[in-house]
Amino acid sequence: MVSTIQNTDVKQKDADHAVVVAITSHAAFESGADDGDAVYREGVAFPLLQALQKVNERLLEENPAESLLFDVILITTDSQQQQQSSRVISSTRHYGLEVSRFCFSSEEDFIESLQKNNVKLFLTTDTNEVTQASQTGVVSVLLDQQTAVCSSEQLRVMFCGDAVIRPDTGPMPLTRQAAQSFSTQLGEMRQKFGMFDSPLSFILVTSHGGRESCRGALQMLRSRGVSVDEAYCLAGAPRGPMLSLVQPHFLLRDGYSSLEE
Amino acid sequence: MVKMSLDPVQVMSGQVKELKVATSSNGDSRGSWEEKEEFDQDHLASPPSQNQHITTALPSLVHMEYTSKVTGRRARKVEGGVFFPKPENAVTVAVSSRVLFRTEREQKALETVNARLRELYPQSEELFDIVLVTYNHAHVGIRLINTINHHNLFIERFCMTGGSSPIGYLKAWHTNLYLSADSEKVREALAEGIAAATMFMPEKLTEVSESQLRVAFDGDAVLFSDESERIFKAHGLDKFFEHEKDNEDTLLDHGPLKGFLEALGKLQKKFYAKGQRLDCPIRTYLVTARSAASSGIRALKTLRAWGLEIDEALFLAGAPKGPMLEKIRPHIYFDDQMFHVEGAAEMGTIAAHVPYGIAQKHNPKQKTSVAK
Repeated sequence: MVSTIQNTDVKQKDADHAVVVAITSHAAFESGADDGDAVYREGVAFPLLQALQKVNERLLEENPAESLLFDVILITTDSQQQQQSSRVISSTRHYGLEVSRFCFSSEEDFIESLQKNNVKLFLTTDTNEVTQASQTGVVSVLLDQQTAVCSSEQLRVMFCGDAVIRPDTGPMPLTRQAAQSFSTQLGEMRQKFGMFDSPLSFILVTSHGGRESCRGALQMLRSRGVSVDEAYCLAGAPRGPMLSLVQPHFLLRDGYSSLEE
Repeated sequence: MVKMSLDPVQVMSGQVKELKVATSSNGDSRGSWEEKEEFDQDHLASPPSQNQHITTALPSLVHMEYTSKVTGRRARKVEGGVFFPKPENAVTVAVSSRVLFRTEREQKALETVNARLRELYPQSEELFDIVLVTYNHAHVGIRLINTINHHNLFIERFCMTGGSSPIGYLKAWHTNLYLSADSEKVREALAEGIAAATMFMPEKLTEVSESQLRVAFDGDAVLFSDESERIFKAHGLDKFFEHEKDNEDTLLDHGPLKGFLEALGKLQKKFYAKGQRLDCPIRTYLVTARSAASSGIRALKTLRAWGLEIDEALFLAGAPKGPMLEKIRPHIYFDDQMFHVEGAAEMGTIAAHVPYGIAQKHNPKQKTSVAK
């Protein structure tokens, strides 16, 4: 059974316009074996959470009545975590995280939570959860140790321009649609800021093909309302060294998303 | 073995054989490029360059050729992708956007070398690779690519960093040489151990060969360290000669562009191995103020010990470099002293300033460089 609890420390967002982002408690917090009732330590998603908050702050600076904001909810995806509800809540408050709701679900019903909360982006450290959620058409991202070293000041979203070229490793149709509308919403948010000093940054990386495929990707993204800030056309060069410089928080590939291939 | 021209008369009298030269279509009257780097939107109005078709004979059965409709350039198509060398195997030249759009002839010369390398070694990745590394914002990305197409440039790899420093990407690309109009970026690159130089464009370009890439280097503080220059500046010419004589058998330490000369030499050897020494499409020159009979010996011994060949070593014994460069017609000339860079540009040679060593301290306009 899922229980949803509002975080009274945080102002609730406009459900019609906000972009709901769900983060699992495993991604948000590190649970150590010996901790007992103590506050959790910061998890790999911390900088990401802070970056999301930064975007909201700046959006409200531009327009205090802004409703196109990130609505972050914390979700548990196994019964063990589900039972740690008070600790999850107290840790969230301790760090002053801008989490508006908690969904205490188990492995059986967390998908239901995602659906009910109209989640547009699901962030987790668990591969199986990514697969399950993707299958129901939710844009899902696998976080890992690399996420932990990303910026907490600027949300960096990477688009991979090669999805078109490799249809056999492509996404499922459900998530493709969801990813596209999610990118469009991000694009709208980005428009509220200037070219430089934006709390939100879009990066395009095309791994294969030359400049023509990169141009195609830039045009395709532009048609979706996404104006790219940084572009890297690798034409076969290894991605690793580039990615460690670019340091995106996550990658959108129209579906199953991961920083590792 | 290093070929040495000792006789100044011999050297000065057109010993350079006649080569096919490209008609210069560059009417650009800009001088120095030391301005903040920006994608030059004026360039959209420039007339298209001559469409040079580089023919490659690729006998391999596995690889197909296709002619790109846009560029008219033949590239190898491999299993659904286009063939590009791995950065660590290629001789990678990274350029800023301003440099990219002003070095069409030089890029053509690199492509000529590549075409000939592919003929001889169809499977090899040891080729020139040009990468655009710019801190332009990607909102000009489409326009930039359109301009590249418009000018038929051979560039498929780029980084548009949207404002953050491109220096990290230079390393990621295994850059062998970085050319920019921004001297700050060049200094940063040198400090990271990457061969780099600030480009200076002449008002009027002299013609250069299309079939042979010619690269000229100053010696001290470019190929070699600035140790001898330090002696000269601190204690004068006599002390300098004395020091060089005393240390004749001691190798000079290496300078920031030694690695690039090495990379060029590696490609040259590939031509030599196939009996194409006389017809080699890469030629290198040392143009130094040292004199052949005395201080030059140490320079030659050092090059020899490094296993580096240089095709022509020109010892000017302090004479101006401009006229010599005008004779050689290099595609690019590297020097650490602005005086020589400006002199070269005046004579129509593209010159690149290497902001390294003691020579920089004496120019009050520039920040002190990091001596290696």
